[in-house]
Formats: sequence, C-alpha cells, structure tokens
Amino acid sequence: MSIASLSRRTLFQAGAALLASTALPRFARAQNAPSGGRLIVAADSEPKNLNPAIVASNGVFFIASKVVEPLAEASFESKDGLSPRLATSWEGSADGRSVTFKLREGVKWHDGKPFTSADVAFSALNIWKPLQNLGRLVFANLETVDTPDEATAIFRFSKPTPVQLIRNALPVVSSVVPKHVYEGTDIATNPANTKLIGTGPFKFAEYKPGEYYRLTKNENYWSEGEPKLDEVIFRVLPDRAGAGAALEAEEIQLAAFSAVPLTDLDRISKVPGIKIISEGYEALTYQLVVEINHRRKELSDIKVRQAIAHAINRKFVVDTIFLGYAAASTGPVPKNAPEFYDADVPTYDFDVAKANALLDEAGYSKGANGTRFSLKLRPAPYFNETRQFGDYLRQALAAIGIDAQLFNADSAAHQKAVYTDHDFDLAVAPPVFRGDPAISTTILVQSGIPAGVPFSNQGGYGSKELDGIIAKAAETVDTPARTELYKQFQRIVAADLPLINVAEWGFITVARDTVLNVSNNPRWAVSNWADTALHS
Amino acid sequence: MNRVLRLIRRRAISSIPVLLIVVVLTFLLLESASGDAVDAYLLSIGGGDATVAQALRQAYGLDQSMFARLWLYASSLARLDLGWSVAFGRPVFDLILERLPNTLLLMGSATVLSFGLGSTLGIVAGAKPESLGDRALSTVSLVLYAIPSFWLGLVLSIIFAVQLRWLPTSGIETIASDKTGLARVTDIAWHLVLPVSALTLIYMALFLRVMRAGMAEAWTMDFVLFARSKGLSRTRIVLRHVARNALLPLVTMLGLQSAAMLGGSVVIESIFAIPGFGRLAQEAVSGRDAPLLMGIIVVSAVLVIGVNLVIDIIYAALDPRIGASEPRA
Amino acid sequence: MKFIRNLIRTPEGTVGLCILAILALIAILAPVLSPGDPLHIAGRALLPPFSDPSFPLGTDRLGRDVMAGIIHGTRTSLLVGIAAALAAITIGLCVGLTAGFAGGLIDEALMRLVDAFQIVPGFLLALAFVSVVGASVPIVVLAIALGAWPNPARLTRVQVLSIKERDYVASARVIGMHPVEIALKEILPNALPPVLALSAIIVAAAILTEAALSFLGLGDPNTVTWGSMIAEGRNILRSSPFLSVFPGIALVITVVGVYLFSEGLTKALAGRRI
Repeated sequence: MSIASLSRRTLFQAGAALLASTALPRFARAQNAPSGGRLIVAADSEPKNLNPAIVASNGVFFIASKVVEPLAEASFESKDGLSPRLATSWEGSADGRSVTFKLREGVKWHDGKPFTSADVAFSALNIWKPLQNLGRLVFANLETVDTPDEATAIFRFSKPTPVQLIRNALPVVSSVVPKHVYEGTDIATNPANTKLIGTGPFKFAEYKPGEYYRLTKNENYWSEGEPKLDEVIFRVLPDRAGAGAALEAEEIQLAAFSAVPLTDLDRISKVPGIKIISEGYEALTYQLVVEINHRRKELSDIKVRQAIAHAINRKFVVDTIFLGYAAASTGPVPKNAPEFYDADVPTYDFDVAKANALLDEAGYSKGANGTRFSLKLRPAPYFNETRQFGDYLRQALAAIGIDAQLFNADSAAHQKAVYTDHDFDLAVAPPVFRGDPAISTTILVQSGIPAGVPFSNQGGYGSKELDGIIAKAAETVDTPARTELYKQFQRIVAADLPLINVAEWGFITVARDTVLNVSNNPRWAVSNWADTALHS
Repeated sequence: MNRVLRLIRRRAISSIPVLLIVVVLTFLLLESASGDAVDAYLLSIGGGDATVAQALRQAYGLDQSMFARLWLYASSLARLDLGWSVAFGRPVFDLILERLPNTLLLMGSATVLSFGLGSTLGIVAGAKPESLGDRALSTVSLVLYAIPSFWLGLVLSIIFAVQLRWLPTSGIETIASDKTGLARVTDIAWHLVLPVSALTLIYMALFLRVMRAGMAEAWTMDFVLFARSKGLSRTRIVLRHVARNALLPLVTMLGLQSAAMLGGSVVIESIFAIPGFGRLAQEAVSGRDAPLLMGIIVVSAVLVIGVNLVIDIIYAALDPRIGASEPRA
Repeated sequence: MKFIRNLIRTPEGTVGLCILAILALIAILAPVLSPGDPLHIAGRALLPPFSDPSFPLGTDRLGRDVMAGIIHGTRTSLLVGIAAALAAITIGLCVGLTAGFAGGLIDEALMRLVDAFQIVPGFLLALAFVSVVGASVPIVVLAIALGAWPNPARLTRVQVLSIKERDYVASARVIGMHPVEIALKEILPNALPPVLALSAIIVAAAILTEAALSFLGLGDPNTVTWGSMIAEGRNILRSSPFLSVFPGIALVITVVGVYLFSEGLTKALAGRRI
C-alpha cells in the first residue's frame, strides 16, 4: 500500500486506530535496505544545550536522539507501545516502590568504554532527577538506583510511583549519558553537552554554527547491520520557504516537523520524486488550546467560557488553518493516546446562536456598537498555525459580540506576559501531549503553580476536585484505576472548561522517494534512525 | 599624510562618547524588554519550573541590579572584552568573528557591485538628462528599489535555484564538502550570486539616482558650459567633467549607506540561510542576549565609523579643499 | 501656490502628485469602498483572483477578501509612512534647531547623540525595538522614526547655522527677540523646505521597513497592511503567487509615487531658490 494513495485526512484520523491495533499495515518498510549514503535533513533551530538527558525537548531530540539513546523507544507494534533500546526489559513492583531494568549487554560508548548500569544510575540520580525539565517531575520521588550487577538497574522510590507513568515517560526522560565523562564535572557546562557522546547508531562529528550538524556512522553499534546510513547532516535553514526549495532542488532529502509549510504541501506533493508522510508523530501530539485568565470577571463565568467554546468552528480550524492535517479535540487528552482517551465528555458544537444566548443569559448583553466586552488575546508566536488561529479567534469572537484585541509579541515576551505577568485574557497555546497526562497535561489545569512556569496553569483557575484527582493519580499504582482517574479528569475539564481544547495535530514529514524506512515508529523524527536508508 | 593622521586621531577620540551612548541605549532598550534571557531559554527547552528559572537567573547574573550589570559590561568593554553570550554559552567575540566575514563578504560585494553598476548607469542616464533612456533607467531602478528585499530574494531563488537549478538555493558554501583553496572560493562565490544580486538590484537605484542628480546639476555649471562652448566631444565632457563632479556626493552616499547595508543583511541572510551578522543579531534579540546584542551593535558601529573615516580620506584626496581641520557635519 | 505650480511643471511632480492623490482618495474612502472589517473571514479560502465577482482579487489563506485588504492596507501603509516621517522630522527639527541655535556644549552633546543613532544600522534598531516592546502600529512607527531622525536633524542644524548669521536673524536679536521666538519665527520657516524634501524618502523607506518587519513576524495583527499581506502571502508564493503580488504592486506604486513626488519637490524648491 502506498502512502500517497491514501487521503491524508483519513490517515491522520486513523492514526489512533493504527496505534491501538496490533495488526499494523507495514508501509514502505524495506527490510533489506541498502547501506551507505549521506542523508541531509532540514533543521530550523540550533539548541544551545544538545544534551537530551538535561533538555528533554523535541528540538534537542531531533538531532541528539541519533547519538544518545533512551532505555526504550516508542513503537507501533510492541507490547506497552515500547521497543527496547538500552534496556531489554522493565518490571515494576506491585507496591510501586521499585522498577527493575535489565540492560543490554556488550554496548560500548562512542569513546570505546563499556556501557553499564552505573551509567544509568548516574544519569538518573545526577541528571534526570535534579536537572531535566521533565525528569524532575517523573523522578521526583526517586531515592536510589541499585546496581546489583553491570546489567541490572533497580530504581527505588520513596513514595509509590505508577509504573504506567514511568513506562509512558521512558522514551522522553531516559536518555543515558556516560558517567565517566560527566562525573566530577559541572554537568550544566560540560563540553559533552554540545559535543555529544552516546551509544547511539551515529557519532557526533561536527557542528558549524549557522550551517550544519554532521553525524557519522557508529561502526560498533550494538544492533547488527545498523545503522544503514554513513552520515546524517542537519542543515540549518532558518527561513520557512528554505526547506521546500532545498528539497525540490535536491539539496536535502528530508524535512520533518512540518518544515515545509502546510500551505505548500499540496503543491510539493505533485513534484515527482517527493512524498508526503503524516505518520511518525503519533506520540508527539500537539494540542491547540485557548488558555483562559479566570481572574477576569467575565471569564470566571462558566456560561461565558461555554459561549466561547460554542463560537469556535473546529471544522474550519481543522480544514482551513490546518488544511486537514489535524483533528478536532474533545478534551485535554488527544485521540492519539487511546490508553487514556475518553470520547464520552461534554462537547461544544459550533453554534453562534447558542453562544449569543449563553452570553445574554450570563448578563452580558450587546452594547450600542454590538459589543458585549473587550478582551486581550495573545496567540503564541511559535507556530504559523497558532498565529493564524489567533486571527481566526478574533473574528469568531466578533461574531458573538466580544471584541478581542490581538497582541503580537515574540517568544520571550509572550512567555513573560502570559506565564509570569498574567497580562492576558485569552491566550492561544500549543502544549504537547507526551504520552501520559501526568507529564505535561495536568499542569495546565492544576492550581498552586508559581508564576513564571511556562506551559502551566497561570490563568488563576483552581478546582479542588481536579487537584484531588491529579494528586490521587500521581500515586495510584494500579494501572486500570489510574486510567479511570484520568478519564474522570477529562470529563471534568471538558465540563468546567478551565481551558478550551480546539484541535490536535501531528507534524508532516516531506522526503525524497529515495529515503527508506521513514516514519516507522510513533516518535520517528526524534528516534534514532538506525534503519533509515537511502536508495541510490 | 600628516593631515590624514590628524583626521584619524580626532575621529578616534570623538568616537568614544558616541560608542558609550550606543552601549547605554542598547542596554536600556533590552532592559525595558518584556521577558529576559531565562524566559527565552525556558521556552526553547519546552518549559521548566520556578526553581530552575531562579537558578538560571543567578547563573546568568540577571539577579543583580541593572546598574551593576551595566557597569560590569562597560568596564569589561573598556578592556576590549565583549563578554559572554548567554544564549550561545560562548564568548561574544568568537561568535562575532565567526559570522562577520560572511556578512562583510555579502555586503562588500553587494556594495561594490551596486556602486559600480549604479554609477555607470547613472552616468548613462545623466549623459542626456530627461532623455528616454534616462527616464527608462530611472523608473526601472526605482521599481526595483520599491520591491521588498525578501520578496525579490524569494523570487530569484525560486527561478534560478529551484526551477532552473543553475544556482544553489541557500547557504554560504556546499555543506561538509571538504573543499579547499580555489575550489572553495569558487563554491562560495557561486553561493553568493543570488543574495548579492538581490541586494545589488535594490541598492543600485540609490547610487544611480544620486549620480544622475549630481550630473544633471553639473551640466548647468560654468566650466561645463565653457567646455561645451570649446566644442569638446560630448563623451569627453561627460566623463572628464560632468561625471567626475558628480562623484563626490556619491562617495558621501556610500558612507551613509554603510550602516543601512549592515542592517539590511538581516532579511537576506535569513532567506538564503547565510550564517552572518544580521541573523546573529536577530537571534540575540529573540534570546534576549544583552551582551551579544551590544557586542554586535558596538562592532557594527565601529565598522561604520571605520568606513566613514576611509571615505573621508578618499574625499580629502578627491577634493583638496576639504581639509582635516574642517569638521564634516 | 506658485510653489505648487512649480511642482506640477516638473513631469515627476505631476505623476507623483497624481499617484499620491489617488492613493489618498482610496485611503480616505476605504470604509465606503469596502465596508466592514477587512480582516473579516468573508468566503472560501484561497479563491483565485478574477473568478468570483464578489472577490475580484480572490481570498487569502483564511478566506479574507484580498481587495478589501489592499484598500484598507492603503490606509495603514500610508499612515505608517507619513506618521513615521512626521515623527522623524519632528524629532529631527527639534534636535537640529536646539543644537544649531544653542551651540557650544549642547550642540556637541546633541550631535554625538545624532552620531550614535546614525552609526547603528536603522533596521537592526527597529527590529530590536519592536521585538522587545511588542508589535503594534504606533510602536512600528516609532521604531522606524528612531532610525530616521538623524538625517533631518543634521540637515536642520546645518540650515540653522547658515541662516543664523544672516541679517534678518541678527537684527531680530538686536531688537531683543527671545532666542526661542527667533528659532520658531525666523529660522524654522527657512529651514523647513529642504527637510520636507527629505521626508518623502523617509515615507518610502518607512513603508518598506514596515513590510520587512512584518516579514519577520513583527507586524500588528489587528490591522491589515500591505507588508503583512506580502509577508503572509509569501508562504504560498509558489501555489498562489497573487496573494503577495497584488499588495506588492500596490507597494511599488506607492513607493514610486512618493519618490517621484519628492523628486518634483526638490526640483520645484531649486526653482524657487533661483
């Protein structure tokens, strides 16, 4: 089955089903892929700190995941949705106080030293727990890591920690770095943070600022016959038009993370030799969310929030802003997370009359100029689509008599205004769903988070009930019980609307036909690319 | 020679207060910004909690008072130390040194070409003021000038790099090609064709119009009328008398334009993915990297002062009436 | 009146004036020509031009009327240009008058300030300013003016210095007029014309700078400008080139109009002086 023969829209919507089913169609999988060649990929940012053990972000993973490996990677077909990397198995104890990892044997670091359980223990206790942006949360109660032998690491927690959470977080939080390089140094400024040393299929060779990163084949990689490629080069192309032009001119072979703008996909898909792939981002779902400042009197009224939810035409957002490469949201957990997703929540269909009626009911009738009240709307500047949705939302609100003034600020100013100064009424944000609601979803509605924390609830919303569920789920070890708590969580969020979930989307990869084994796992762009190959 | 030395010395002394003003104003501008380097960094890594933010602010020295930081910066600058970039975690001097040659190459070639082309076409246009050729040249150059540089850059790239594939789409050289010597020089030149053309087409208009205006004025001057009455050939008058006279304002224009050229590189560098000064400045602003932005602005100010000094020396050579003692406004 | 006659007598002046008059008319009549919010989502997205009579120039990415955008864009683009030039000239005149008239230490200090602004690349300054303060029309105007005022300041100062020594100013001083009064009554009217000729160039540069800032994502999202239209259209430059070409043509016409006008103005002024 070829990818092009399927409508892109059906593919995206089928993504969740694909994930859930075990009988997955194997698309474009070349088992006997040729070896050799140089793959040139577009990159749009140059992270200052490239160490994925410290900075667990997609910008870092995109490059670093080929060099530094996690304990396990997300997978379409394996049990628990994980395939082994540096760990070969993982087992949680019934009381939730420990998780035992069996580690892969015979693995060597790029500098030739052997990889052992000591490296895992060091990474976990000295980096993931104290320094990593997401690990601080997941490993908050990690006390010690026992290493009975070189191939076993036992994580011990001071409080029960759900193994479901650890499992879901593994691909993101468990990048292992070598103890012998970091021990006794200032970890934050260690030169290996930019010149990476890992166990992955590629070695870090060279970085020319503003131009490219070059990775070369690791001849001693633990997986026989991999990697296929000799070299991977990340070419820095800051302008949005750059990736598409370079692909067409055959200067690069692949552009991930929608580096080719959605608006250009239809045209570029007709260029011979170029394919468009919307899989490979199922575990990296971004959510389009309207953040609400509940300090504002009007917005603290549930009827007003419901009216706004009814005023948004999700079909327009999906079809026109995302050109079909997205799905409408029902609540805070995306459909791409079937383990947690609950469709049985209150929904808000597009209904301007109803929205107007709700606002009248709430006591905000239209003034002489047709306006009920004015709001300050801050769309996040990080994506084209968040800005465009801001433009759309202003018009959608105008239709129900709410006058929204858009505030355009760059990233740092937006972050300060929304998450520190609370200088907004509505904001458009693109949070990421990272496989488990506890990692970066609950923080969006939980109360008591100090000002200054980006991508968290800074709208002054507080619900004892939700806080209680979140706290309870954090220590519920039993997986079905924990899952049920999060279903409850979704229902309350959808009913009480601390924020409005509008749409959810994954990114698009555009590649030349010569690139094989693309998008064969749900975090493909940020996975190790060991089997990716070039057809000469 | 003595006169030139005196000019250099006086210019150097008068530059110090100017640079000081530039540093203080840049610092105040970034200080008034919403969001600091830590906000920018936390966003780039996808979030972090309040303790991380606090620790980072301490590490960057952002917890100190504004005056303490300004003083620290100014005093290290006095020792010719440009400081440490927060966003890149590297010395500002190294970063600038890495990027500056690319921009100088880009802007230098564009300036030489637009100056050469602009003045030549200006002479052609000014040889017969108000003629059809004059009007056509003036209008075409004006239209080119009015096209936004990013649009012109994108269109040139689509036509010549994507459709015709004559030239590379972007970059300063073929990546990781290990080219050296002449092969590398040719490679870089090849990559610069499109961005330099875009800039040349735009800036050409300025030089053309100044040259043309200067010539139109010179035609009415006594010595030209005298030369014409002597029956000298038109070409000879144009080149010997008229154009030569119009050259002085053109040189002044070059000095004024040097600052604008450095600023204009931001957009073109971004479109053609050239790791240059303009892009560095953009990254410094978005990363709220005060030391880096100040370093960039101080270095570009020094460059502009240097260019203007050279131009003054040329000016003095072209026109001996202008002495080093006369302050040029 | 004689001045305007002089202006119209030059071909540049005539053409420039005509273009500007038409643009001004469109700007003033924008609410009549195209009622309602030009950012309103009016139809299907990406309708090609000349295909639907209600959207003669087609629609953009979100289904907004391109024609309405161009008409209302005339308003904001001219507004940005003129306001930036006015601000630059005002600052420049004040600084130049003060420096030229006061002389001595004040002159020295002000001229160093002028130097400082002149050696910083204007676009970098505007970029930094808009990034840190936030993008809105007044801020964009101010940012452009910040980079443009040194030239008028210098020009004013030179004019003042040359006029100051003339007889009528000297006599005003003798009869005991206050220095500020002399500056406003005698010197300003004489120093103004050459500065105004410069203003046309600032208007053109300001419109282009606003476009470049929009391209870098630093435009005001609440109003439509040609710059923001071109910047948005360039994302679909390949598939729907008309989205950036139409506002581009409008921009080129305006800049050319302003330039021709300034050329005519300069000639007319030169004619007056003779």
